[in-house]
Amino acid sequence: MTSIVELNNVTRLYGTVIGVNDISLTLPPGAYGLLGPNGAGKTTLLNLMTGQLSPTIGSVRMLGHTPRNNAKFLSHIGYLPGNEGLYSNVSAIDWVSYLAELQGYGRHEALDIAEEALKRVGMTQHMHRNIADYSRGMRQRTRLAQAIAHRPQLLILDEPFNGLDPIARHQIAELLRSWIAEGHSLILASHVLHEIESITRSFLLICGGRLLASGSTDDIHELLVDVPSEMRIKTDTPHRLAAVLLEEELVDSAGLDGDGIVVAATRTALKLYQFITDSVAAGRFEVTEVRSADDSLQEVFDSLMKIHRGEL
Amino acid sequence: MNAIRGVPAVFRFEWKRTLTVPRMAWWVLLTMFPPVLLGMIRLSVGPLPQNNSEITAVVVFILCPGVVCMMGVFLWATPAISSELEGRSWVYLAVRPHGALAVLAGKYLVAVGWTLPAGLIAATLSVLIMYPDDLWHILWVETLLVVLSCVSYAAVFTLIGVLFPKRTMAIGVFYALLFEVILAMIPAVVNILTIQFRLRCLGVRWMNWDEQFSDDDPNAGPFQSYFGDETAWWHLGILLAMTAAMLIAAAAILRWREFTTSAETDA
Repeated sequence: MTSIVELNNVTRLYGTVIGVNDISLTLPPGAYGLLGPNGAGKTTLLNLMTGQLSPTIGSVRMLGHTPRNNAKFLSHIGYLPGNEGLYSNVSAIDWVSYLAELQGYGRHEALDIAEEALKRVGMTQHMHRNIADYSRGMRQRTRLAQAIAHRPQLLILDEPFNGLDPIARHQIAELLRSWIAEGHSLILASHVLHEIESITRSFLLICGGRLLASGSTDDIHELLVDVPSEMRIKTDTPHRLAAVLLEEELVDSAGLDGDGIVVAATRTALKLYQFITDSVAAGRFEVTEVRSADDSLQEVFDSLMKIHRGEL
Repeated sequence: MNAIRGVPAVFRFEWKRTLTVPRMAWWVLLTMFPPVLLGMIRLSVGPLPQNNSEITAVVVFILCPGVVCMMGVFLWATPAISSELEGRSWVYLAVRPHGALAVLAGKYLVAVGWTLPAGLIAATLSVLIMYPDDLWHILWVETLLVVLSCVSYAAVFTLIGVLFPKRTMAIGVFYALLFEVILAMIPAVVNILTIQFRLRCLGVRWMNWDEQFSDDDPNAGPFQSYFGDETAWWHLGILLAMTAAMLIAAAAILRWREFTTSAETDA
């Protein structure tokens, strides 16, 4: 089966600034979340994937094609860019059908598929109004409609949940899940972990223009498991627990943070988790809460960056 | 195939977008400027001399193919790409099969289609107001010059728009003033590069004014340096070739150049 993405040592420079840095990647058909903080290089990577940019070094193949100026490839993709870029004085139906015509459909067929796509994103009621009158959520739905109207083989979305209220987020997530269930491929870029988690379990983590990790959430947790991390454990007997953890060499350091909380730094998080579970089961300690202090996305990226640089 | 199919789609879409009050007001202003100006002059001067063909042809040439057509296509063709880039709508078009090319061709046709009626109406009303002896001949020549002016100036401004996606309008004005106004009036080799020179030469030949000068006429030299000594077909051929070359160059640059918007969601 042809890979949807094949990047070989891809680097993209903007003058002396690195947009993406030596990324190699092969993705079979499926749904993938491209996760990274703002400025990570996600949009540059998507621009390379959609053929708007050429790599400075390396090669890009998408669906078996070189994407740049390739009409055949472009007829198989739908793209939702991160920037809004809508005309104010046209209606959603006019705009989406216009883009469908550019995709190669005849006028009437384009109108039909535009109507269908707008219906799918819940815009039927408003599709004849000027886009200038739309709320941000409505504009986002309209933008999504243009990407899916021609039922592309591969849908590439850059921050599709921006500006959506929780209900709209849920509806769009439902739509994307059904899209994937229909056998289409999806690449979804976001800087919010749970947005991607609600759609797919396959991740590509990018930071500083580098691909830090790829795989499922479990793969990434496994990767991070031996990375020094800070644990906060709430117990009735904090002094005793801290002493035992140090004695058993399960932590590098341990301290107390009031309210019965032990703050421990460990390189063996899995062993520590196991020890706490066993101890609680054996009745040695009363533990009411175990929490990793490093669960924010940025911390995950920082840890992965350190692994990448060989610092860990 | 998709590129050709996309052109009418772009034309239809962009044409619909032109039908707004401000844009229609510009169209009316542009169309009525020459006839109103000439009407006011006629009212203040009174009856024109009986043989006013030459002055009519020259004035209408300056005002209609010169000002109306150049101004009209300048307003439409120059920002064809830059407006999409500034509005960040370019990406939606660029990720369609042959989308960029279809947009270029479609917008070029809109520029011509929007300006042509303005030029034709302005020229017709202007000639009628001047009411020269050979009215129909002058009207025919001005009509041809209006068509050629729209087609060729639109190509120039389209190319400028693709070459300079930033500060496009300022560069368009600079080009028009420097090349089509100043350099075109200098009787030197440089003026043959301008659209104005070709239109002027064609106008002179189609008005049969070149027949007034034989080779031994002392005025033939200055005349030739200002209006050339080639045939009308030659000038027409060069003008159409220049137009085609500029459009092909614009399409090639569009294909080769990376027009990603300056403000990305990230690096």
